[in-house]
Amino acid sequence: MRRSWKIYRLLAAQNLKRLMEYRADFLTGAVSFLIDQAIGIAFIFIIFTQIPQLAGFTFPQILFIYGLSQIPKGLDHLLADNLWCVGYFIVRKGDFDKYLIRPINPLFHVIAETFQVDAIGELIVGIGLLIYACPSAELHINVWTVLLTVIAVPFAALIYTSLKIITASFAFWMKSSGFIIQMVYGMNEFSKYPTTIYSLPVRIFVTYIIPFAFTGYYLSLYILTGTDPLWSIGGVILISTVLFVISLLIWNKGLSAYESAGA
Amino acid sequence: MNKMIKRYLPFAKAGIQSLIIYRLNFMGFVIGGLIYCFVMFYLWKAVFESNGGQMFMGFSMTDMVIYLFLSNTTSQLIFSSVSNDIGEEIRDGNISMRLIKPVNTDLSYMFTELGTILMKLVVLVLPMILGLEIYRFCVTGTVMFNILNFLLYLSSAVFAYIISFRVNLCFGFIAFYVKNLWGIGILKNSIVNFLSGSLIPLAFMPDGLRLCLEYMPFASMSYTPVMIYMGKYAGYEILFRIGLQALWAVLLYGLSKLIWMGAIKKLCVQGG
Repeated sequence: MRRSWKIYRLLAAQNLKRLMEYRADFLTGAVSFLIDQAIGIAFIFIIFTQIPQLAGFTFPQILFIYGLSQIPKGLDHLLADNLWCVGYFIVRKGDFDKYLIRPINPLFHVIAETFQVDAIGELIVGIGLLIYACPSAELHINVWTVLLTVIAVPFAALIYTSLKIITASFAFWMKSSGFIIQMVYGMNEFSKYPTTIYSLPVRIFVTYIIPFAFTGYYLSLYILTGTDPLWSIGGVILISTVLFVISLLIWNKGLSAYESAGA
Repeated sequence: MNKMIKRYLPFAKAGIQSLIIYRLNFMGFVIGGLIYCFVMFYLWKAVFESNGGQMFMGFSMTDMVIYLFLSNTTSQLIFSSVSNDIGEEIRDGNISMRLIKPVNTDLSYMFTELGTILMKLVVLVLPMILGLEIYRFCVTGTVMFNILNFLLYLSSAVFAYIISFRVNLCFGFIAFYVKNLWGIGILKNSIVNFLSGSLIPLAFMPDGLRLCLEYMPFASMSYTPVMIYMGKYAGYEILFRIGLQALWAVLLYGLSKLIWMGAIKKLCVQGG
């Protein structure tokens, strides 16, 4: 454990050095994600100029859900971005070999290798929206709601990471699985708005199959309503843990099926 | 003319072939786009329900569905990856291989994309329009397909593509200055999605902003063709809109040429 932590720090430091080298690139990345987010919010704003409530939620409450949904997304983006590369080209080009010949866990190595600072755009917007929406969203703020929600956030991020591990693993059999990651990851759009607006089949799909509903709506439900923490917070923790275990099983199965491509 | 076709046809063929080879990636993007449309569909449904009325700022729910899916499809149709392609080639030096060939650089990129566009028209746009018309028939009980609007849509889409190509070409030249093309790509896509009205119909924006955006080149990229298809423009306004598209196409052609002439002098290929 301590050795892993040391390796992680070393790799992260390397990343930060690269960042200092290409400062303009870092700025472009972060600003891009920031503007991308701002436009999403402008969209909600324009809708709310016409209607007072959406699916029973006020404008600040919708912003709160949206903001909270961006934090797990940003955390996963910050820490586990390299999985995209595994799916898109690392396996296809045969570069995955390097992870297998080193004396550390390959999955840990893949994840530790990149520290994607572009994610700061999402995190800033997420936190900013929470701060902005807090006073007017009629939240149920007390020690328990805040504490449990904060605890659940990393688990929600784990849902993103697990889905990425599963879909990236497919590359071990198919050589390239970028488009599958893209497809599944793209469903996080569903997490931005109250799940109640979707029809029943879609709701079941985003709750139990690709459980992005837990990374936004259910995650914020406890602090919004003050009731039923077992479903919202408990659900996030349970679903993410189960999904993570499944993802590890698939990843390990994939590792044993891996055949080096390339030279 | 014949000579030109002979010279550039291989590029178009290469475009078709690469789309066929990377069909899974292509499908991924199409399905991703559809998922996005469905999220938006439910969101708008909730908006219409909260609003309580049949109409929302001049759009019925049926209009909204057509708008959503068709503007997404149109964006995919006219999508140009030239900013990435040229950016990559500038970075890895392969652009030199293109420059020494006896072809026009812009046209060689354009013909590669024309191949993929033809494929997209057949496998994506036509089925989508068929589906939408069936949907519209089921909801309203009448056939509302208008062949004239469809043809005008296609001709407007041609200009939309030329504009999209030129805008992307200009973006691609940023590769001369920054390396994070991927970040720039995200930035470009979200700005274009917003300004072109494929996220929110421009008709919903505050008046001043709407007027401003309607005259900018981005509106020409998906908003104009879709509104024409939906019959939201009438008579002379259609001509005016297509004329505006043509004007932007010419202006952006000039702009991209200007930047290119400046940038090509800076080109410095290391190795490659």
